[in-house]
Amino acid sequence: MSEKYKLTIGHFYPDLLNLYGDRGNVLALYRRAHLRGIDVSIRAISVGDDLDPDEIDIAFIGGGQDSEQNIMSDDLVNVKGPIIKDMIEDGKVFLCICGGYQMLGKYYKEHIGNVVECLGALPHYTEARSERFINDTVYLFTTDDGREVKVAGFENHSGRTYLGEGEKPFMKVVTGHGNNGEDGYEGAVYKNTFCTYSHGSLLPKNPVITDMLIERAMKKRYGEEYVLPQLESTTEDMAREAVLEYIAHGKEKAP
Amino acid sequence: MITFPGTAAAVITRKALRLMGKGATTLPGKLAIRISPSVIREKSRGKHIITITGTNGKTTTSHMISEMLNYLGYDVINNISGANLASGIATTLICGKDEMMKAKGQSKGTIYVLETDEAAYAKTAGDLQPDVSVITNLFRDQLDRYGELTHTRDCIADGLAKTSATAVINSDDSLVASLGKGREDKTVYYGMGKEDMLRNNTVYPPKKGILPASPDAVYCPDCHVRYEYRSRSFGHLGDFRCPSCGFASPASRFEVRYDLGRSPSDEDYPFGISDSVTGETSDMKLRIPGSHNLYNTCAAVSAVTVMLERLGTDSKTAFEQATDAAGHVKAAFGRMEKIDVGGKKLCILLVKNPVGFDRSLSFVEEAEDAAGLMLLLNSNTADGKDVSWIWDVDLESKADSLPGYISVSGDRWGDMLLRIEYAGLVSADSGDMSRAMEILKAALDQCPEGKCLYVMPNYTAMLSLRADLVREYGLKEFWK
Repeated sequence: MSEKYKLTIGHFYPDLLNLYGDRGNVLALYRRAHLRGIDVSIRAISVGDDLDPDEIDIAFIGGGQDSEQNIMSDDLVNVKGPIIKDMIEDGKVFLCICGGYQMLGKYYKEHIGNVVECLGALPHYTEARSERFINDTVYLFTTDDGREVKVAGFENHSGRTYLGEGEKPFMKVVTGHGNNGEDGYEGAVYKNTFCTYSHGSLLPKNPVITDMLIERAMKKRYGEEYVLPQLESTTEDMAREAVLEYIAHGKEKAP
Repeated sequence: MITFPGTAAAVITRKALRLMGKGATTLPGKLAIRISPSVIREKSRGKHIITITGTNGKTTTSHMISEMLNYLGYDVINNISGANLASGIATTLICGKDEMMKAKGQSKGTIYVLETDEAAYAKTAGDLQPDVSVITNLFRDQLDRYGELTHTRDCIADGLAKTSATAVINSDDSLVASLGKGREDKTVYYGMGKEDMLRNNTVYPPKKGILPASPDAVYCPDCHVRYEYRSRSFGHLGDFRCPSCGFASPASRFEVRYDLGRSPSDEDYPFGISDSVTGETSDMKLRIPGSHNLYNTCAAVSAVTVMLERLGTDSKTAFEQATDAAGHVKAAFGRMEKIDVGGKKLCILLVKNPVGFDRSLSFVEEAEDAAGLMLLLNSNTADGKDVSWIWDVDLESKADSLPGYISVSGDRWGDMLLRIEYAGLVSADSGDMSRAMEILKAALDQCPEGKCLYVMPNYTAMLSLRADLVREYGLKEFWK
C-alpha cells in the first residue's frame, strides 16, 4: 500500500448532542478503523461551524436534552440541512441515534400536539407519547452477507417513530420496544444512512455494526474493491455476551 | 409537646426496624408523610436548618458542615446515610435526635444539616424554611431517573423561591449561578479564585485525548450562544461569560486561593480561602483530598460562616471559626475514606455519574500511593438502569497515568471491561458481582505494603461490596 488509507468521522454537535454515552460510538469507529492501520481523524462540527461534505466519510449525529436540541435545531435544519440531504442522497455513511434519528425525519409531534418541523432528509415521522421506553434492549441485525446476529443496546425515548416510503427497518426487536412499540422493528436504513434509538453505547458492544459502517465508508471513498482487513473482536464479543446474559437473567438484587 | 400521629408511627417503625438490624433511614419518614403530609413543616418549625443540594459533593459537603458545626460547639443532626429524599428528611427531623452529634461541653444549640436531593428540594424547601441552602453544582446524573438538567435547575429555583434562605451558590457553574438572579440580597457566591483559576489553567493544561468528554451546559440557555471561558477548573465549571447577554460567573464572596504546582490528591494540600466581606484570607490544608474537594471545602466554609452570621456572630469571627473548624474534618464513608487492610490501604470512591468518575480518575492519576484500581458497575434502579454514561468520560486521556493493575466487576462488568479496553487499558481480572471479593482480594495481594487499592463502585455495587467488606474485615455498619 503506497498511500495510507484515511477516514474522517464528522461528529455533529458534540457539545450539544452527547447524551447517554453516544461519544462511545465515535470512539468505537475510531478504534476499529485505527487498529486496521487506517489514518482516522475526528472533526467536531457544531453550531456555526462549516461543513465540507467531501471531507466527511462517516457522519455521527447523537441525541441531546430538549433544551440543547432547541439550541442546535435551527443550525441543523436551516443551515446544514441542504448539505446533509445531499450527503445522504450521495450515499455517505451516517449513524444517527435517538434525537439525531428523529431530527432527520419529517416532523416531531409533541405531547401537546405542537408539530416541530424536522430536516426531512428521510421520510419517517415521530409522535411523542407520555410513556417513555427506558430499558435494556436486544435486537436482531442482518449482516450484508445474510447472517443474523444479536445486538445489545439501551433505549430511552418517548417518541414513537413510523417509517416512510423508501426506508427499511434497521433491526428486529427481540427485547424492548423499538421504533414505536407496535411493529417489532427498530431504526431505519436508507442508502448508507443508519438510524436507531439504541444507546448503550451501541457500537462498542456490537463491532459487526461498527465494521459495516467503516467498510461502507471506505468503499465509498476508495471504491468497491476496497477490502476491510480482518480484526478480532474477542473483548467486544465477551462484553456483549455478558450483557445479553444479564438482560436475559439478571435480576434486581436487594442491596 | 404535641405528638403528631405520623411522628409516633415513624418513631415506632424506626425502633422496630433497628431491632431487626435495618438502617431505617427512609421508611419511618415515608409512613409519617403518608399519615400527616404536613409533617416536614411541623417538625422543622423553629429549627435551624442548612440544606445541601446539587449533583456532586452533597454528601461530602454535608459531612464537612456537620463536623465543623459540631467542632464549634453545636449539636448536629443530619441525614448522613444519604437518605436525601423527602422520606429521609422527614425521618431525620423526627428521629434524628437518636443519632445526634453531641457537642463537646456546653452546647450552643442544635443545627440540622440536611443533604437534599434536587427534586426533593423543590418539594420540601418551602416546608423546611432553611436558614441556608447550599447549591453545589449541576452535572448530568442518571438522566433516566432525573430527567433534564435544566429541569433540575428549575426545580431548585422553585424551591428557593419559597424560602428566605441565604443561598450559598457555586459561581463557577453557569446553571446554578443563574439561581442567584433576582435574589442578590439573599445570595452568597463561592468559587475558585478567578485569577488563580486562570493561572492554573495555563500552567496546567489538560492532556488531550482522542475526543473531549461530553460537556454539560456550555451554551447560554437564553441566548443559544456558546459561553466564552477565560479559564476552567473542570467540566463546565469555570470563569464563563455569555458574549450575547453578558451573563458571567459572578464575583464570589468566598474564593479558593490555590496553586496546582502541587497536587490536591496529596495529603494536606495547602490552599487558602478568602472572604471579600472581611478582606481576610485563611491558609488551610485540604483535609479530604481531590481537586473537587476544594469546591466542597469552600462551600462548607461559606455555609458555616453564613450560618454563624445568621446566629449573630460577627463576620470576622464567623469566618475565622469556620476556616479553623474546616481544618478538623475527616473523610465520610465511601468518599475518599481509607481503610486499613493488613498493612495495605483500601480506598472506596463512590462513582455514579460522568463528572464524578472523571474527578475520581483524576484523583487516582495523581495519588502517589495508588497501586491498583478496581471498577464495579451495577445497573439496578438506584444506580440508573442505563450504564452508557461510562462512555461520556474522557478515560482515553487518563489511561497512561492510571495504575497498571486494573480489574473490573459488578453486574455490568462486560460494559466496564470494554470501556477500559477502548481507552487502551488492559484488565487484570474481571467478572460479575459473585466474584467481586475474589477479584478485590487478588488486587490487594499484588498491592505492596503501605500502598493503596482504589475501588470505584457505583451505588448498589458499593452497598454490596460494603456488606462483603464488613463480613470479611469487621468494619462498622455505615449508618452508625
